[in-house]
Amino acid sequence: MSQYTRDYNMPELMAATAAREIQDGELAFIGVGMPLMAATVAKFSHAPNFNMMVEYGAMGPAPLRLPMCVDCAVNNERAYFAGSQREVMGAQQAGFVDVACISGAQIDKYGNLNSTAIGDYYAPKVRLAGSGGANDLASSAGRTIIMMRQDGRNFVNEVDYLTSPGHLSGPGAREKAGLVGSGPAAVITTMGVYRFDAETREMYLEKIHPGVDIENIKKAVQWDLAISPHLTETELPTEEQIMIMRTLDPLAVYLGTGRQTLAGDFEAFMAMFENSYHPMIKLMRSKGMM
Amino acid sequence: MLFQPMPVKKGRAKPPTYKIMTAKEAVEKYIHEDCYLGMTVSAAPAALIWEIVRQRDRIKTLDLVITSQIGMSSALIGAGLVRKIEMGYNWGGIEGEDKVFRRAVEKGIPRPLEVEDYSNFGAAMRWAAASMGLPFMPTKSQLGSDIIKYNPKIKVMDDPYTNQPIALVPASYPDVAVIHASRADEIGNVQCFGLYGNTDTLARSAKHVIVSVEEIITSAEIRRMPNLTTIPYYYVDAVVHAPFGAHWRESNYYYHHDLAFGLDAYRQFATREGFEEWAEKYILGTRDWNEYCQLVGYDRLYRLMQSEHKYQQFGEVR
Repeated sequence: MSQYTRDYNMPELMAATAAREIQDGELAFIGVGMPLMAATVAKFSHAPNFNMMVEYGAMGPAPLRLPMCVDCAVNNERAYFAGSQREVMGAQQAGFVDVACISGAQIDKYGNLNSTAIGDYYAPKVRLAGSGGANDLASSAGRTIIMMRQDGRNFVNEVDYLTSPGHLSGPGAREKAGLVGSGPAAVITTMGVYRFDAETREMYLEKIHPGVDIENIKKAVQWDLAISPHLTETELPTEEQIMIMRTLDPLAVYLGTGRQTLAGDFEAFMAMFENSYHPMIKLMRSKGMM
Repeated sequence: MLFQPMPVKKGRAKPPTYKIMTAKEAVEKYIHEDCYLGMTVSAAPAALIWEIVRQRDRIKTLDLVITSQIGMSSALIGAGLVRKIEMGYNWGGIEGEDKVFRRAVEKGIPRPLEVEDYSNFGAAMRWAAASMGLPFMPTKSQLGSDIIKYNPKIKVMDDPYTNQPIALVPASYPDVAVIHASRADEIGNVQCFGLYGNTDTLARSAKHVIVSVEEIITSAEIRRMPNLTTIPYYYVDAVVHAPFGAHWRESNYYYHHDLAFGLDAYRQFATREGFEEWAEKYILGTRDWNEYCQLVGYDRLYRLMQSEHKYQQFGEVR
């Protein structure tokens, strides 16, 4: 077993925590960013038989480099399948996907997410990206894992726009609406880990990240937050988990400040590929995946 | 008895004739004011979109229909061409927040933009319906969400067979689809290497289809691997030869995403002036796609190609 480490940043802790939500043998639906890091960590550590689908038409890629987007050429690299979006999204709707990672800008106590607009939809204070695949996955995936920043204002009583359904208005609401998936199972934020009560479908705090004050969590949630009587501290990442993330993403494009440093710097971008090529081959070989 | 043959309907098939033209010619011929334009990602039709922006004084107004878009729709929105967008997602992806989109929706800059939201799959099912000549498609997505509440075009009904709620999305028939793909022959049989998103259904839904490709090949080469033909010739009106035609985005097995360029572009899109300077330099300041490539630098583009080939080439198994 790899040793725990305290050499990590918050996105790395979130990715490592999400990786532990993925079980071996599962079929997952994964976007880029933190979920991709979580999926890669899972694949290279405890879940070698786990495979991922990518939204624009790929399944089971085993790339030696960092994917840039869900429609990226990297998702074809040594994949089991490459083709249409209808295949992967259709399979998803038909119930073939065990777990999906999604996100949002606002969340309520039932795990309903907003990624469309802050304020009035018709005259938004902030217009956001829109659903993308998040609503689809929230509707039909076996379960969802939500990963998001918790900024003190975005755990709200009511989301401004319900983009992706969580447990809607509580017990039985998803079934009544006709949704086939079981909805959110966990919420991993910059402060802790939350789950949903089987009876009330309400979110409760299960784990608190190292160094986070529980009073600050309560202040960051608009409703009266339920707290697990078995509240524990979030498990630290292992050295191996961190090594995997930093091998695939050496400039911390997804888990740090890489995007700022790469803007306009083509040579640094090319060097990122050059420098991670052999370490990734070594990592793949050490896991018997190449 | 009249003894005259009954009138018959002709099929919609485009003829198997020579269809290669320049981007300028294709856009002039098919894209006009108030055009309902469809596009998708995988791959990004940058060469065609840049040409539409160059002809903005003539085209004036477009309504867009997309599933997801990164960058391409923003070029059109920033250029003041877009009146309405029907969409699942419009943002910067890894390049980050899309300030061009935000300015248009929040402040009406450079012109007001109406948004009609769907989920990605919901948006994609509109082309799935149209591609088979159906008026709508049922989907299990969007149920229980505000997407339905704010979009009256999405209807919820009880499925007559199971009595379970189901959402219906209307078919979308774009006037024109702009698509970038791997290769095509001169009559418009289009092949895609690797994942292709919903390029297939988009092409089948549009009244006119313009496809730009990395390579023009012979029909004999098409016939060697007919299962790669994602879009048969009878959907296609125009074929445009545009090597590197998706830059700064990627083209499967041809070249890699130019993240350094994309991040820099989005940094400039943060202000209206920044966007206009960027568009003036890279789009309006170049006469065609070749000039754009020269400005970006062919050595840079070939390095992106080499980088892709280091990891994968089509048909290669490592």
